[in-house]
Amino acid sequence: DKCVTRLEQLGYRVGQSLVERFTKDSPRFKDELDIMKFVCKDFWTTVYKKQVDNLRTNHQGVYVLQDNRFRLLIQIAAGKQYMEYAPKYLAFPCGLIRGALSNLGMNCIVTAEVTQMPACKFQIIIQKS
Amino acid sequence: MSRQSNRTTDSRKVSQELFTLTYGALVSQLIKDYEGDDDVNKQLDKMGYNIGVRMVEDFLARSSVGRCHDFRETADVIAKQAFKMYLGITPSITNWSPAGDEFSLIVENNPLTDFVELPEKHGNLCYSNVLCGVLRGALEMVQMEVKVWFAQDTLRGDNITEIRLKFIKRLEDALPAGEE
Amino acid sequence: MAVCVSVIAKENYPLYIKTIPTENELKFHYTVHTCLDVVEEKVSSVSKSVNDLRELYLGLLYPTEDYKVYGYVTNTKVKFVIVVETSNTLLRDNEIRSMFRKLHNAYTDMLCNPFYTPGETIKSRSFDKLVLQMMVSEVQS
Repeated sequence: DKCVTRLEQLGYRVGQSLVERFTKDSPRFKDELDIMKFVCKDFWTTVYKKQVDNLRTNHQGVYVLQDNRFRLLIQIAAGKQYMEYAPKYLAFPCGLIRGALSNLGMNCIVTAEVTQMPACKFQIIIQKS
Repeated sequence: MSRQSNRTTDSRKVSQELFTLTYGALVSQLIKDYEGDDDVNKQLDKMGYNIGVRMVEDFLARSSVGRCHDFRETADVIAKQAFKMYLGITPSITNWSPAGDEFSLIVENNPLTDFVELPEKHGNLCYSNVLCGVLRGALEMVQMEVKVWFAQDTLRGDNITEIRLKFIKRLEDALPAGEE
Repeated sequence: MAVCVSVIAKENYPLYIKTIPTENELKFHYTVHTCLDVVEEKVSSVSKSVNDLRELYLGLLYPTEDYKVYGYVTNTKVKFVIVVETSNTLLRDNEIRSMFRKLHNAYTDMLCNPFYTPGETIKSRSFDKLVLQMMVSEVQS
């Protein structure tokens, strides 16, 4: 879907810039997990006004971020009628994460999954170069 | 009224950096998608229009302003309440035409243009043209047809940023085109 | 103050380099290039020690006879290098730090310009202006 791709690209560019600003005053990150924690806490709070509710990893480069009340879905969360629009709402946030992580040196693929709005899961697969 | 007071203003607010950067990404995407600056300006105006026709309801509900009696009152509401509410700035109102049907908003610290350096090849781009569309769309919903344009823009090397509004006519209570 | 200011991409190619006496440009390119190894070394070795503050400012990378080379690395792995003349004794650590701070802020704003594509050579007018200020004040010192 062209629209989804575009939105993802916009998010990517914004994520690159935002993360540059947000990490300007923080000490250097220790490792990958340190970066993911930063995304779940500081980054998420500035952008979505709350922290990620749950972060899981298989320790092999796959991370799952779960937000039980994702800010961008709250408006359309009543009932199932807007479910088909969810991918369009999530393309930008996926790009945002991908842009932020790529600028921090982690190239990845980010996908989103919704089963019950406004809860949402983002899966991040780190690409090893 | 109760609905209004229950809203916490803070959670509605978007980080300004996020807002500014997202708008920037949108404009640069449009530049990739369209041929020239004029087409991009048109698209931004169109997007703004679509935002404006929806936003006016939200504005009226939250600001509780009543009907404006003349264009001067409208100018006041736009500058002191609408700009304040949505962009956090209060432009000054100047350069009234003798007939009172045209005025300028002088915008300082336009949040849309933080960080922006316009490349020379985009000399015709009205970077913040979305604002013109928003004003046009919103005023159309309250039965005013207006023409809105950027008379000056600091991004293009002018000393000030000036949005000009011209009253065209009062619209009858017909259903606006494009409404679902 | 500075005789050379440079920004290096995370992939270690130069995004920006400005030098004061232009005939020395090549020499500074070389200096900046050789100091990248020192940066890498500092970044990787320091992160292993426990009581590490993991500062962005890396301090003096190495002194040569005529110049002192200072380094700074952002969280996004972009490196800044500032070269000053060894004879310039007025510049202490604090001044160098504050120069890097300013450079970092200017870099961040520059990156946020929607017309800039990350990874491109830096051509921003305001970034240029700030760097020139850092170099021009040398005349007064």
